[in-house]
Amino acid sequence: MEGKRTRIDIIEDMLSSIINKGGRIKPTHMMYKSNMSHSQMKSYLNDLVQKELVRKVKDGNYDYIIITDEGYKFVEKLKQMREFEKVFGL
Amino acid sequence: MVQVVFSPKWFWGKDILIDSIALLVLLLIAIFATRYYRVKKSRKCLYLALSFYLIALSFFSKILINFTIYYRVLHTQVIGSMGYTQVVLKSSEILSVSGLFLYRLFTLLGLFMLYSIYEKQSKANIILMMYFIVISIFFSKEEYYIFYLTTFIFLGIISNRYYQNYKKNKEKASGMLAASFSIITLSQIFFMFVNFTKHFYVVGEIIQLIGYIALLVTFIKVLKHGREKDKD
Repeated sequence: MEGKRTRIDIIEDMLSSIINKGGRIKPTHMMYKSNMSHSQMKSYLNDLVQKELVRKVKDGNYDYIIITDEGYKFVEKLKQMREFEKVFGL
Repeated sequence: MVQVVFSPKWFWGKDILIDSIALLVLLLIAIFATRYYRVKKSRKCLYLALSFYLIALSFFSKILINFTIYYRVLHTQVIGSMGYTQVVLKSSEILSVSGLFLYRLFTLLGLFMLYSIYEKQSKANIILMMYFIVISIFFSKEEYYIFYLTTFIFLGIISNRYYQNYKKNKEKASGMLAASFSIITLSQIFFMFVNFTKHFYVVGEIIQLIGYIALLVTFIKVLKHGREKDKD
């Protein structure tokens, strides 16, 4: 069984869920895809918007979350770190 | 009298270049591990970064000692004054011996820290190991091979640990990491027997260079693989 997710694990899951949906996702979908409660997601999302890793946009009647270039770069960095962790057995 | 120079004269400068490459590789990994620590706050990563910084620092001390000695000896040869040569060697001896001490201290501390990431240590064990490290450094002032025997044992255990990790995750990069540390371990055997012939120092340095280049290739592979996985 996997241990409790860290803050970074949750952020990675959130950003990956956007990437898997082609770069934009509805907030409710993100909530389900990243296994989060509504309040938890709200707090994390605000943090991600503040750090300019994602942006909130409106398309017609729907709200969407889109990943920024910085967000893509951050996910890339996280994947490298995960690989580093695995190779060095950390 | 402490022996400081182990390199044959024709190899002077070339060993500095090899050690500089090792220093660069160690710094690259240490800097990456520091960034990783800043993002993930993983304690193991912090220790990994610190151990690589310590080993890099040891190489820096070694480069500094060798550079000082080679430069001064070559410089005095050009000037050709006996009196001047003696003064210069006396003043550089203190620097060289203390530099050698620092080189050995940083190497063993770095390796011990790296070893401790994988083999959890109690406080008592850490104190005991520190004692042995200091003892081995003092002894190695007289008995040169004791220092390299200690590094050989540390590196051997770390290599084995990386090999076990490779057996577990079957990642090619993990296998390459185990191989590069094994090559660096092998180089210590040649350094150990440098008193027989100075050519062992050359062989040791070349094997060590291969080990650090393999480590660099492994590191690049880790970065590239991470990116490729990202695109999948």
